[in-house]
Amino acid sequence: MNKLPPVSRREMLTRCGVGMGLLGLTQLLGNSGLLNPVAQAGVDSANPLSPKKPHFDAKVKRVIHIFANGGPSQVDTFDPKPALLKYVGKTLPTANLKTERRTGAAYPSPFKFAKYGQSGIEVSEIFQKTAQHIDDICVIRSMYADVPNHEPSFLLMNTGESRLVRPSLGSWLTYGLGTENQNLPGYVAMCPGGMPLMESQNWQAGFLPGVFQGTYVDPRNTDIEKLIENIHNKSAPDGIQRKQLDLLAKLNQAHSETRPGDALLEARIQSFELAYRMQTEATDAFDVNREPKAVRESYGPGDQARSLLIARRLVERGVRFVQVSHAPVQPWDSHDDIEVNHRRLAGQVDQGISALITDLKRLGLFESTLIIWGGEFGRTPVVEMPTPGSNAGKINGRDHNHWGFTVWLAGGGVKGGTVVGATDEFGFKAVENRVHVHDLHATILHLLGFDHEKFTYRYAGRDFRLTDVHGRVVKEVLA
Amino acid sequence: MRQLLSTAILCCLFATNGVAADPAKPTAEAVEFFEKKVRPVLVEHCTSCHGEKKQQSGLRLDNATDFLKGNDDGPVVIAGDPAKSKLIQSVRREGDYAMPPNKPLSAGAVAVLTEWVKIGAPFPATNTTNITPEAASRSHWAFQPVREPAIPVTKNSPDFANPIDRFVVAKLEGQGSTLAPIAEKRTLIRRAYFDLIGMPPTFDDITAFEQDSSPSAFEKVIDKLLTSPQYGERWGRYWLDIARYADTKGYVFQENRDYPFAYTYRDYVIRAFNDDKPYDRFILEQLAADKLPPGDDNRTLAAMGFLTVGRRFSNNIHDIIDDRIDVTTRGFMGLTVQCARCHDHKFDPIPIADYYSLYGIFSNSPEPKELPLIGKVARTKDSIAYEAELAKRQQAVTDFRTKRHAEILVELRGKESIAKYLLGVAQLAGKDRQAVQAAVRDQVLRPAAFARWQTYLTETAKKPSSVFDTWFALSKLPEKEFLTAIDKLIVELEDGTETSIDRYIMAALIESNPKSLKDLAALYGNVLANACERKGLRNILGVDGPLDVPFTEVDRLFDRADRDKQTALQKKLDAFTASSPFTPPRAMVVNDAPNLSDPVVFLRGNPNNPGPQTPRQFLQITTPTRKPVTNSSGRLEMANAIASPDNPLTARVMVNRVWMYHFGKPLVVTPSDFGLRSEPPSHPELLDWLAKRFVEDGWSVKKLHKRMMLSAAYRQSSQLRPEFAQADPENRLLSHINRRRLDFEALRDSMLQVSGKLDRTLYGRSVDLFAKPYSSRRTVYASIDRQNLPATFRSFDFASPDQHTPQRFQTTVPQQSLFMMNSPFVAEQAKAVVARPEVLWSMTTAERIKRIYHAILSRDPTPDEGKLAVEFLTLAQETKPSAGQLNPAELFAQVLLISNEFAFVD
Repeated sequence: MNKLPPVSRREMLTRCGVGMGLLGLTQLLGNSGLLNPVAQAGVDSANPLSPKKPHFDAKVKRVIHIFANGGPSQVDTFDPKPALLKYVGKTLPTANLKTERRTGAAYPSPFKFAKYGQSGIEVSEIFQKTAQHIDDICVIRSMYADVPNHEPSFLLMNTGESRLVRPSLGSWLTYGLGTENQNLPGYVAMCPGGMPLMESQNWQAGFLPGVFQGTYVDPRNTDIEKLIENIHNKSAPDGIQRKQLDLLAKLNQAHSETRPGDALLEARIQSFELAYRMQTEATDAFDVNREPKAVRESYGPGDQARSLLIARRLVERGVRFVQVSHAPVQPWDSHDDIEVNHRRLAGQVDQGISALITDLKRLGLFESTLIIWGGEFGRTPVVEMPTPGSNAGKINGRDHNHWGFTVWLAGGGVKGGTVVGATDEFGFKAVENRVHVHDLHATILHLLGFDHEKFTYRYAGRDFRLTDVHGRVVKEVLA
Repeated sequence: MRQLLSTAILCCLFATNGVAADPAKPTAEAVEFFEKKVRPVLVEHCTSCHGEKKQQSGLRLDNATDFLKGNDDGPVVIAGDPAKSKLIQSVRREGDYAMPPNKPLSAGAVAVLTEWVKIGAPFPATNTTNITPEAASRSHWAFQPVREPAIPVTKNSPDFANPIDRFVVAKLEGQGSTLAPIAEKRTLIRRAYFDLIGMPPTFDDITAFEQDSSPSAFEKVIDKLLTSPQYGERWGRYWLDIARYADTKGYVFQENRDYPFAYTYRDYVIRAFNDDKPYDRFILEQLAADKLPPGDDNRTLAAMGFLTVGRRFSNNIHDIIDDRIDVTTRGFMGLTVQCARCHDHKFDPIPIADYYSLYGIFSNSPEPKELPLIGKVARTKDSIAYEAELAKRQQAVTDFRTKRHAEILVELRGKESIAKYLLGVAQLAGKDRQAVQAAVRDQVLRPAAFARWQTYLTETAKKPSSVFDTWFALSKLPEKEFLTAIDKLIVELEDGTETSIDRYIMAALIESNPKSLKDLAALYGNVLANACERKGLRNILGVDGPLDVPFTEVDRLFDRADRDKQTALQKKLDAFTASSPFTPPRAMVVNDAPNLSDPVVFLRGNPNNPGPQTPRQFLQITTPTRKPVTNSSGRLEMANAIASPDNPLTARVMVNRVWMYHFGKPLVVTPSDFGLRSEPPSHPELLDWLAKRFVEDGWSVKKLHKRMMLSAAYRQSSQLRPEFAQADPENRLLSHINRRRLDFEALRDSMLQVSGKLDRTLYGRSVDLFAKPYSSRRTVYASIDRQNLPATFRSFDFASPDQHTPQRFQTTVPQQSLFMMNSPFVAEQAKAVVARPEVLWSMTTAERIKRIYHAILSRDPTPDEGKLAVEFLTLAQETKPSAGQLNPAELFAQVLLISNEFAFVD
């Protein structure tokens, strides 16, 4: 790895030809809000992404959200329901809850469950490699959302609001914490081959400044230029760009000398140097070929494995929030052929997730990283009935289910080897220690050091929160 | 700092002095003091333990009743006597308690509480939610009528002729400073150019101005710029920020997402600024152009794009209306009415009923199916070909609908279908609407057919029917009684005691002997379907009956598969309309609904939880003379109420916006929130004076520009003077002008301008700025996809097209620099600069450097800069550019294009 030595702020300014005296003044004025023409609540215009402290100390510094977009079935993955076997082909003794489509008889999982680890938590065979780490995982089996439709549920899971324009979780976190590596985007949203349903609304900055929006990356591209816009220079002959920037620094310095104490002039000078370094660093971060062969192989083949490895390389370099969606639109949406489809989908990530956890531990990053796995909702424990235009009518799949589903967390501050909450006997509805998506968000913010009720941003006359007026920290999740 | 604080407290003292202290019935001033100073302290430091969730020691400080009760031992405050009040003793950490337990309150907060107790501890009976609009309008500056303030006399400074300067200087003198010297001429003209047209003056423009020594030289520049059509493009774009302009709807399921006619709104806005359309008229047209007397130019209808270019929120009507309420109220009046969607506004006097009064205005203003044409396209071979293709695609949609209609009728007349609907109606008798809708969906019934069956059977049941009486009688029976009943009936039929039944039904009953209601339904299906075939259909079920659903109801006959197919065809049609340059322009209007209805309040904002009805009318707080509107949507009345000189907010809000763009900072720091939580203006009298003049000038925006730009305050230098910066670190008092960084539009347009490539075409359809070959149109014409806004826009703090943007953020991130360093667009401009004839034909290197400086920075290089340039060119000469790469002069030009001097305006 050809990592460049870190450059301190002092070095940077000296290199740009700015003396310490001016820096002092800049800081003085910058901190007092002077010359900050658009003074917006809590956003440092000159260095919007500089690292910041949360409300209280927290172990977790960064997040990888493995978004199983489309809605994985809880009873086929992390929430075994043997009681369904008693009702094969029969209607459940309890009425089917209303979901998006017509549903019918009980439909037991076609997959085998087994106990794993010291905790003995049961996990489906399709996640058997992830299950090797079950003692590091906290499985929340009592998740619920608001409606059984993808669009609002995607937005609820990612932004805390089903319809209106609100900042995404990653945007809130980069706003609150900045990022630890100014040479990379602070918030990266990956999805191989296209975008998930709702597209960039999933990583929108909403009313926060655009810099807090997730940078979308298609990890299928191996060409760095397609990953990050303008990352490579093609117009200057080799080596000459450095000379251009040296000249620029001199001209800018002369310009600044007659305009002392302007933080924004100063910030723009620095940003060219950052950009210059970003060209190398970003290329490096996204290039999984720089990873030892054994590490690459441990993640397994395919787009999802590659995404997870890139995610690890990014958080290793200080990127604050990485979202990895499975594939475009809503791949986990198995209305038909759940056995074939869920086996295939889980097969695409299982090894990668397992390798990611091992790898983060190897690098000593596991305790400071939070991994979130889950979809926007789950699936019904009963079979979906045929509806013209809706499914293939095979009667071997499951409908959406917002009444109860599973999300798991792993990493810093999380109580591994735990199950939180429960769904009913058949896995239809969360009944014990119910955890709404707002509660999940409150808990995630807590794990990163924020009191979700105090983490606000004023816009249009209101102090907005990720959790709106809801949310409770789920204490049972915390180590 | 300490001094500032005590001044603040003194002001409060002054404001509340002499106010009769009755804690139960506080005056408006006392309420304001409480809400602004006291409640924040209580909320921040006390109510987490003494509030809704916890009441330590039985004390609750979040409402008046509990506060008066005090803690378990009784009241914690003795009105007027801080020293004896337990609350004050506790926060002073002198009595039995030391509160808050962990961290003492700041001296300032203790002083506020002490002062509050001293004046009688007024605690409004409920929180601000229930301040009456009258009380709030009495106390809050922004709700007062605009005053005609006296122009202050300035002491030390020369007596400025422009009253703006007298207002500004009077404040500056208060802190011992004054305006900075007038900026140099080249600085001034550059500032004026960017402010009015968003592009720099040329070298010759500057020279001419420097040589014009007449006193009106600057005024002439302003006049020239105001008549330039580029002015409307600059200021039109500012307005598009407010109007959350975009060319797409956002996510709308499978529909085509384009707004093919959004550009007609943009054109309207640009034209309105160029024509100096009076701002009150501008408001009226954007809200209600359809209700105004039609002039010669029906392009005015496009003004209503203001309401309609917003996000479509997956076509959720409540959210669409919410967005329209927001853009209207924040956009024109700086009022956050949106906050009253779920409950009364927490801070401002906007009850939830007022929100739904506006909701009713918009819910009664739908968009027509076909938007009005507002122009023609010249008939050419291409346009004729376009029309043919369009007709073909339209035909495809019509054909599909006709074909499916016929097919569905055949299906409905089949025996299975008839049986299914009969059963469906019987099973759902007496169920509520939601249950019926769900069942219709689950059983895959076609809503129009179901409704007709339901009506038909209800009507038929009212009189004897030889066909259906048997069905009615048997379908009402509990399941277990069915068999007995039918057996009895068949016996009666066979022995001839029962003869009133239709003979076909009778024969079928005897023959098939149904065992269940389902069997019976199948029997009816059979008989009725056969009857249809025997042409008896209309006799049995009637013209327009359940089997004769007309084409007008075809949409409600469609199931999901039909709808998906139709959407796909419609999408092809819409995409074609959106992409073709031959589509004639249309205006994105709304019109009054043919059947008007009064809105109801949605409790907690939930449409499924309707509350009391509320009339369609405007807001009480700005328009005390409002009246309910009954004979129209109320849009025009709303527009008139906003565009009224008596509206305390409208003129102030607009003046503040214009000020912000000229001075780099607004007078009211939250330009779209003038509510109770906003900071008061830095210069309240100036704001009022400007608002008065604005209205007096016939709401002329161009006159407003000129008034501001001719002031010495505007013309002063941007040089910061540290001695004043200490006292006023945010420069709110304007002891110098604020230096500004170019926004993305100005930056990109300026590069095109100096490279000589700018395409000055006015108006028209949107262009993709990021597709090669790069467009040379001005940035205002960029196509804006709100669902996936191009990353470059985001990086450069472009206005979010999702919601109304009161002011842009200004952040510095390396992605901006990457664009400047590496984007092919910037490289192209660098090449084009060097390809300018005067640069290209320079005879010497020195000459070429000078010409490049002239082109990009509109000035001569200094000797030092000349030297640096030569050094760079020599260095660069040693490298060998490969095909398409920049040569040394071009590389040098790029450096100037990306320099701070180019990107900032002094």
